[in-house]
Amino acid sequence: MSTSHRRTDEYGLSRSLFLFELFRDAMRAEHVLKRAGFDTKAGAPPPEVRTGCDIAMAVPSNQVNAAEKVLRADGIPILDVVFASEGDLPPLQVSKLVKKVDFGDYLMIRVGNMKLTFHKKTGVVVNISGGGCPDIPLLALKMVGQPLDKVVSPNELGFTLCAYTLQKAYEASLQAWRKMR
Amino acid sequence: MLLLSGTMPIEDKSLIAGTIKYDGESISLGDRHIPKELGSIGAMAMMAASATAAQSLGIESPVGVIAGDMGQGAGSAQLYSYLTEQAGGLGANAVTMHYILPIRKPFLEFVEMLDYWKKRPFMIADAGSMLIAKATGSCKKFDLFTPDAGEICFLADPEAGHPAYVKSMLFEIDTTEVPQLIERAYASGNAPRYLLIKGPTDFLVDDRRIVNTISEPNIPALEPIGGTGDTITGMVSALISGGYEPMRACLIAARANRLAGQLTNPTPATPVFEMIKHVGEAVRKVADAT
Repeated sequence: MSTSHRRTDEYGLSRSLFLFELFRDAMRAEHVLKRAGFDTKAGAPPPEVRTGCDIAMAVPSNQVNAAEKVLRADGIPILDVVFASEGDLPPLQVSKLVKKVDFGDYLMIRVGNMKLTFHKKTGVVVNISGGGCPDIPLLALKMVGQPLDKVVSPNELGFTLCAYTLQKAYEASLQAWRKMR
Repeated sequence: MLLLSGTMPIEDKSLIAGTIKYDGESISLGDRHIPKELGSIGAMAMMAASATAAQSLGIESPVGVIAGDMGQGAGSAQLYSYLTEQAGGLGANAVTMHYILPIRKPFLEFVEMLDYWKKRPFMIADAGSMLIAKATGSCKKFDLFTPDAGEICFLADPEAGHPAYVKSMLFEIDTTEVPQLIERAYASGNAPRYLLIKGPTDFLVDDRRIVNTISEPNIPALEPIGGTGDTITGMVSALISGGYEPMRACLIAARANRLAGQLTNPTPATPVFEMIKHVGEAVRKVADAT
């Protein structure tokens, strides 16, 4: 992989995209880059390298070398760097994909393809449904039967975009339950 | 023979493969007993439902292959390797791919290898396998997908590489405008020949034509229960491997899932293993009547 400085902006490739093997590394990269003051955007990798359950971190192309140094200093493995124009990075939509279904004693929160259902009175997670990546069954195993305020959060154990989506369902559930109380 | 593949959240690094046996309480693959707490998680719910449906209808017991994977992908990589290098020799007439980490290269190697099998199997995908099939433009290498409402939105959005990238306007129209989503999925080449779309109304689709819809009995409490879609996938896989015509297999599986749900009398807190206990009875009754 080479990230030598290029005048990408003159070709309309104003953004450089860091690609990662694991979704969790991408999340760490976002945190590290933002903390270091980079103008970071998250979004879908280009179709030719996309696996489905992944996310890319974009920085302005004139900052790519500095950003790579920061990531490497933090021990974050980079799979590749590609260049893209400003409009080539479809954003995550999960914050817009929230639905609630009231089942009387239970409330189901659906975010994208993930559903979390909890008991309204006790906050106990009673079911998790959806998703397709291997960490989702693990998260279901750890979360079902535990109250929302004590349960392990998907961010702590998850590695994938499905787990990230479940995290958003968990956060929306916790917020809804706190309002009920 | 049917081959079912998927991951299970265990640290074990070795593949588990063998004929699936389900006795109404516990499940085993070959001589390997699966711990009860994992017996209805993820791919195991699909395998248990498939084995009990096959047994109930006198179909050859399915073979399962499971890899331990906690989400980091090593087990999934092993599973792709097994499918590419060994599964072709099993003589399976149907293969179902389920929970797996989407990894581009080994997935593509497997679907390309299918062209070299002595006889091409009927290919079914659900869960992570459906995500990677779409992300790699390989949907036409499959014969049947079994998406739910959120996943048909994803298939309908040509730009989305994952349901989390689906345009919110598609998400808004999901369950009420499924026919429109079906049309979009086929128009962009992101659907195989057959779709069984699971939801408040199940849609059975053959090459963009809606052949059947099933809405009764309507049991809203099934939607939150994790694994109730996996049971449909397991049943339809067993039926197809047993020689049932694909649309009839989809019809029986969709109806039997609702009947099994009704027999369970579920609440949103019911675990799926309570429903799997009724799958054998339900699929037999529905198959006899369909």
